[in-house]
Amino acid sequence: MDTRQVVRQGFPLWLLLMLLAGCTTTTVDEFRQGETGIESHQSIVILGRRQGSTYETREEFVNCVGDRVARGTGAIRVIPEQEFVDSLFPWFEPRTAPLRTSDLQALMEEPLVAGKIQEYGVRYIVWLDGQTETSNRTGSISCAVGPGGGGCFGFGSWEDDSNFDARVWDVSSFANVGTISTDATGQSYVPAVVVPIPLIARVEANACSSLATQLQQFVNGD
Amino acid sequence: MLAVTGNNMMTGRRSAKAVMLAGLLLLLGACGVNSLVVEGNYPTPAVRKIPLTLGLYFDEDLRNFLYIEYTETGQEEYRVASGQTHVQLFGSLLPAMFERVVVLDSMDDASDAGVDAVFAPSIEEFQLALPQKTRLDAYEVWVKYNMRLLGPDGAYIADWVLTSYGKTPTENLLSAEGGINDATVSALRDLASNFTLSFSAVPEVRDWLASKQNVVTN
Repeated sequence: MDTRQVVRQGFPLWLLLMLLAGCTTTTVDEFRQGETGIESHQSIVILGRRQGSTYETREEFVNCVGDRVARGTGAIRVIPEQEFVDSLFPWFEPRTAPLRTSDLQALMEEPLVAGKIQEYGVRYIVWLDGQTETSNRTGSISCAVGPGGGGCFGFGSWEDDSNFDARVWDVSSFANVGTISTDATGQSYVPAVVVPIPLIARVEANACSSLATQLQQFVNGD
Repeated sequence: MLAVTGNNMMTGRRSAKAVMLAGLLLLLGACGVNSLVVEGNYPTPAVRKIPLTLGLYFDEDLRNFLYIEYTETGQEEYRVASGQTHVQLFGSLLPAMFERVVVLDSMDDASDAGVDAVFAPSIEEFQLALPQKTRLDAYEVWVKYNMRLLGPDGAYIADWVLTSYGKTPTENLLSAEGGINDATVSALRDLASNFTLSFSAVPEVRDWLASKQNVVTN
């Protein structure tokens, strides 16, 4: 069997795997508890929750959501997380960050904190909390190198599940105005016939995109 | 066909020796201890200043603090020097908390420096958790401090213990040294936030601040 035959016979399998790799299921839920809207001179800050002992909301995910919310037709001014946290040090550190809106209200009684938040024009604080978990790892790939060359053979797959919540706090009323939840799942595959071909499901990227789109609409009051 | 002349053979032998030497050094390097001087930047706290002058004294143990991590067979694996980054941290933290801060070379200089009190921190314990030992995807650092506040004459005002914790995930890290550095900086940042917000709540410190407030008011 020559290479062309292998490719021709294996083609439907490759195609199927590539199609499956693109299949990430994403669900977004919105729970609104108050009216929202934002003026052009106002901004939001998106912060990751890092109080948990088992996981921390990844900075990369927070930045991803922030970048997407700041783009497009309904773009909103987003204060970068690290800049905000450094500027308001030590009030938004993992150990000291407000956990409830009443804590935020108490925090705003500190003139330096209130002044900085006002300076940034922050109307909403968005707390992102969640993680991506990998499960169901199966298969194996073996690679070998010899005098005539090298190659890999085998098959590996795994499932990624991203779960994130975004809680939106209105700084002007110290109220939780809503929660947006996203759940994305997808299966990734790495078939290897001489060369390993990773077919990665972009689960976290899809969760970021969906959450950001919904958050942008929510804050704009659409 | 390859013709090798006398000169080329000499060069070839020298090259082979150089390669062997490099290989040997590489092997020795792999067995050696990895030294790291922790470096980080710390933000200035956004807090109200206490209208007092504080003397700041770092003893030699703190300035030269070195933690050594050993392998399971008792060999030195990592030498983590964090004394200078602690000096940098307190040097940026305390001037934001007090109206005036004077760094003292010796405790004997306190009375002449016109300070209201002297702050002298020390590290009691430093623990490092490496992912290859814990099987977790993170470098972790835990530090226990003894904070001392003394009068200009060296008299006891307050003495309390603070702990700090920092971790950094292994993902996106190019080296173990980078992971240890980031976890230590994260622990120091945790110390800074905890220290800033809990300082006035330590009972002895609260009493001392109240007595100073009375002096200022009267």
